[in-house]
Amino acid sequence: MQRIPIKLAKPGMILAKEAITPEGQVLCGAGTELSQEVIARLIKQEVLTVTVEGHPVQLPGEKGLTEKLKELDHRFVKVKNDPVLRALKTLIAEFWVVQEKGEDFLQKLKKTKTR
Amino acid sequence: MNKEEIRQRLKDVQSLPTLPPIVSKLNQMVSDEDVTAVKLGRIIEKDQVLTSKLLKMVNSSFFGFPQRISTVSNAIVLLGFNVIKTLIVTSSIFEVMQSSDIGLFEHSLGCATAAGIVAKKLGIKNPEEVSTAGLIHDLGKIVLRAELPEEYEQVVETAREQDRYMREVEKEALGIGHGEIGGILARQWNLPERLVYPIEYHHNPEASPDYKEISAIIHFSDILIRALGFGFGGDKWVPPLDHNAWNRIKFGKKDMTHILEEVDEKLAELQDFTLDIHKDEGTES
Repeated sequence: MQRIPIKLAKPGMILAKEAITPEGQVLCGAGTELSQEVIARLIKQEVLTVTVEGHPVQLPGEKGLTEKLKELDHRFVKVKNDPVLRALKTLIAEFWVVQEKGEDFLQKLKKTKTR
Repeated sequence: MNKEEIRQRLKDVQSLPTLPPIVSKLNQMVSDEDVTAVKLGRIIEKDQVLTSKLLKMVNSSFFGFPQRISTVSNAIVLLGFNVIKTLIVTSSIFEVMQSSDIGLFEHSLGCATAAGIVAKKLGIKNPEEVSTAGLIHDLGKIVLRAELPEEYEQVVETAREQDRYMREVEKEALGIGHGEIGGILARQWNLPERLVYPIEYHHNPEASPDYKEISAIIHFSDILIRALGFGFGGDKWVPPLDHNAWNRIKFGKKDMTHILEEVDEKLAELQDFTLDIHKDEGTES
């Protein structure tokens, strides 16, 4: 799933999470397919972003998973001997992998690593 | 420049226009026991610019209130006067920061978000106060940047060139770290100790004379938000973890995953908030 500014929403995209106004009111539920009319209504209700299924838009400045993981490693260079922080780093890396590729992918990845 | 000269410079910061005169008026009012949130709200609401800034902050996602807060007196009831006062005292500083150092601004908002989530998870009373401590934990950096821009630039540059932590270089070059500077200033502004200590000791929370748990939360939230790479806190390195502080608050894998999920969600909303600010700037200019 991907969170995108409402401006970049296009008909045919499917909501992965409910669309909520800044006041917290739910406008449409997860699974709703966006149409021109729905998008117009969301904009009218001042919805700023929506979370849609898949990864349909390449946002400017957005980094790929590989690059994100590489930078994560780099930020931890000075504390790499700390077991707690090492665990935190692994947790963040796994969280991102699941977010982008799904739980199954992570499990497969773990299996190939232990083999 | 040595530590004493820096202290002297900081004393003058109080008289800069950064501190709105309304603050001393509010301070007087708060010491009066009969004062109500409605009365305080009314005073603040006389200043429309301040009110709109304040409501924007309290409605931003790092406090995480589901309903929109539309009046100042409501904000005082919901968040407590300490939080409102701190937001007023620091509002002009944050304004400067938004335009001059969006990276540090995002780091601060991110830390506020993480701190609030961690505080709620630990069941701390008034988690919004902990959020606010997170928001201003790098006050020292903001002030250094504004008051001693050349020295600040030099510190950032040296840290970058030598791949070092910024605060190591600060101590070497200025004889004082940003934590201590932030603490001096927060005290000068009469912020409560619950906020002063976490600012002052966010890199060495166990040295804090009191409120060690809040200090530990800010310490860890700073680490977490840098680990996630959100915003820019002056150098790109994840700071070392104080294990005694960690033992006060520590989470297992399951809780930590929940925290990550929640933080991730809120950070995405925060990006809307900062986008919003950029947008406002765009329309004003």
